[in-house]
Amino acid sequence: MSDTALFHSLREEALAVRRKFLRMHFEARAGHLGTGLSDIDILVYLHKVWLAEGDQFILSKGHGASSLYATLHHFGRLSDEDFATYYKDGTLLPAHPAPGALEAIPAATGSLGHGLPIAAGLAYAHKYIHQTQRRVACLVSDGECNSGSLWEAALFAGHHRLDNLTVIVDANGLQGFGRTKDVLDLEPLVDKWRAFRFRCEDVDGHDFSRLHQALRRAPDGSPTCIVARTVKGKGVALMENKLEWHYLPMSEEQYASALEDLAEAERRLKQP
Amino acid sequence: MRVDFVKAIEGVLASDPRSMFVTGDLGYSALEGVAATYGRRFLNAGVAEQNMVGVAAGLALSGMRPWVYSIAPFATYRCLEQIRNDVCMHRLPVRIAGNGGGYTYGIMGATHHALEDLAVLRPLPNMQLFFPCSNDHVAGAVAQMSELDGPAYIRLAISPYTTPVAPLSEQPRTLTRQYAARRNPKAPSVTIVGIGHGVQIALRALASGGLAAENVDVFGVARFPWDFVADAALLQSVVESGNVISVEEHYADAGMGESLRAALPPTRSFRILAASYSPGQRYGSPAFHLQQCGLTPEALIHAVHAVLR
Repeated sequence: MSDTALFHSLREEALAVRRKFLRMHFEARAGHLGTGLSDIDILVYLHKVWLAEGDQFILSKGHGASSLYATLHHFGRLSDEDFATYYKDGTLLPAHPAPGALEAIPAATGSLGHGLPIAAGLAYAHKYIHQTQRRVACLVSDGECNSGSLWEAALFAGHHRLDNLTVIVDANGLQGFGRTKDVLDLEPLVDKWRAFRFRCEDVDGHDFSRLHQALRRAPDGSPTCIVARTVKGKGVALMENKLEWHYLPMSEEQYASALEDLAEAERRLKQP
Repeated sequence: MRVDFVKAIEGVLASDPRSMFVTGDLGYSALEGVAATYGRRFLNAGVAEQNMVGVAAGLALSGMRPWVYSIAPFATYRCLEQIRNDVCMHRLPVRIAGNGGGYTYGIMGATHHALEDLAVLRPLPNMQLFFPCSNDHVAGAVAQMSELDGPAYIRLAISPYTTPVAPLSEQPRTLTRQYAARRNPKAPSVTIVGIGHGVQIALRALASGGLAAENVDVFGVARFPWDFVADAALLQSVVESGNVISVEEHYADAGMGESLRAALPPTRSFRILAASYSPGQRYGSPAFHLQQCGLTPEALIHAVHAVLR
């Protein structure tokens, strides 16, 4: 497949996952919409292109679980039966990933700052103990970069030259109770990761060609970080860049409006 | 106990290729041999305990069985959420070793004491706790931990009352040791339960002759949760005596004595001898701290007399 065709099909698949994701949330009356819409393009890229047999993905921003469930279901890694139970009593798919519930989700997360240490431990074991080519990707939120344990893990990964570890920061600029730059300003974020001995690039997190370029790199003794600049609520006009969509569920009218936005995006995508 | 621990660990590392040793920058003049021998299976994670435990969880997810080592307060409180979420919830075979439990670090001061480590770890899902009664109890505890498929914590400590007394028996599953038995099961009696090395206070009391006239059973317990199917002898002693005194170098609140009381049928009397700080606390050797909080052989003898006389 040519790169152009690949990026086109990624855009189509991301639209399909967004549609699935919105339906899950509408039916469950569940919040955490904004964060899922900001990371779906990254999840779709990782699961369609990046993750090879034996590679592992750790969702450190556990509040993005529903977008991961939608992605896994889209790619046939989550059964219809399990998927239908999302957010309901008795489900294995709560709002943050549960421990040992799904093979595709190695670690339960939800308290921020936990996923990167686990991912670093996996990467250390694959590289130095088992001596395999297995790689580990870890998606963190920008708000999560407030936490000390994340930087402990970054120090560890840089020191041990874990070039089989890739960190992606879903940098949507919003966190729990404010804009990231107003709460604890992370900038210059790329410089920080570089100072921790990561190869780090600043990319548009919704641009598949940029993600592809940045994430397709031969191991060179340094861990990789991608600061993916994203839009919270991406793809749904009424949610984009709005803090409240970290929490709110959708009304029927809002759901209809969101679906209309996706339909419009699909029409644009189909234009020659 | 540290010397015995390192010796036991060397055996585990040599025999089980899944085992690893991760330290939080501790081990000077103890772990140099392990570091030199085991290459990448020895890992100094630095002064970063949260990451250390998260990394250990990742190692365990890849099939390894890491031991994680630091001074008891640093190996437990700083990284408690990592122990809870990353290790215990996933039931991963991560073994945490806290060196210097209780007042072992004495004059190093309050930050280095660990008087609530068992309390905070005890309720965590899948967690097993080990607290050897003496140096020659460490190898057995390490051997049991190394067989577990889930998480465990071992508290290593030194008692200033250490007294060489050979146990009458050792229960193979729980490692519970009985050190003294009642002369007359029909006469009024007391069951003394030493929590880990807390039993050394009872052993010193026995050796001093201060309990010579008393009808007491002395047990040293080393593995939790309680298992009174295996420890039927301990349960029977308590049922028959109706009087329990537990001894622990740990806070009474949420401590193992409190847990024992909850696990046992109701008794006539139940006294918990435990550690504490006082207002205006001053610092010194472990023995100084035990004196300050009344955790001494004399206090135990007095407590036995109070029940039986």
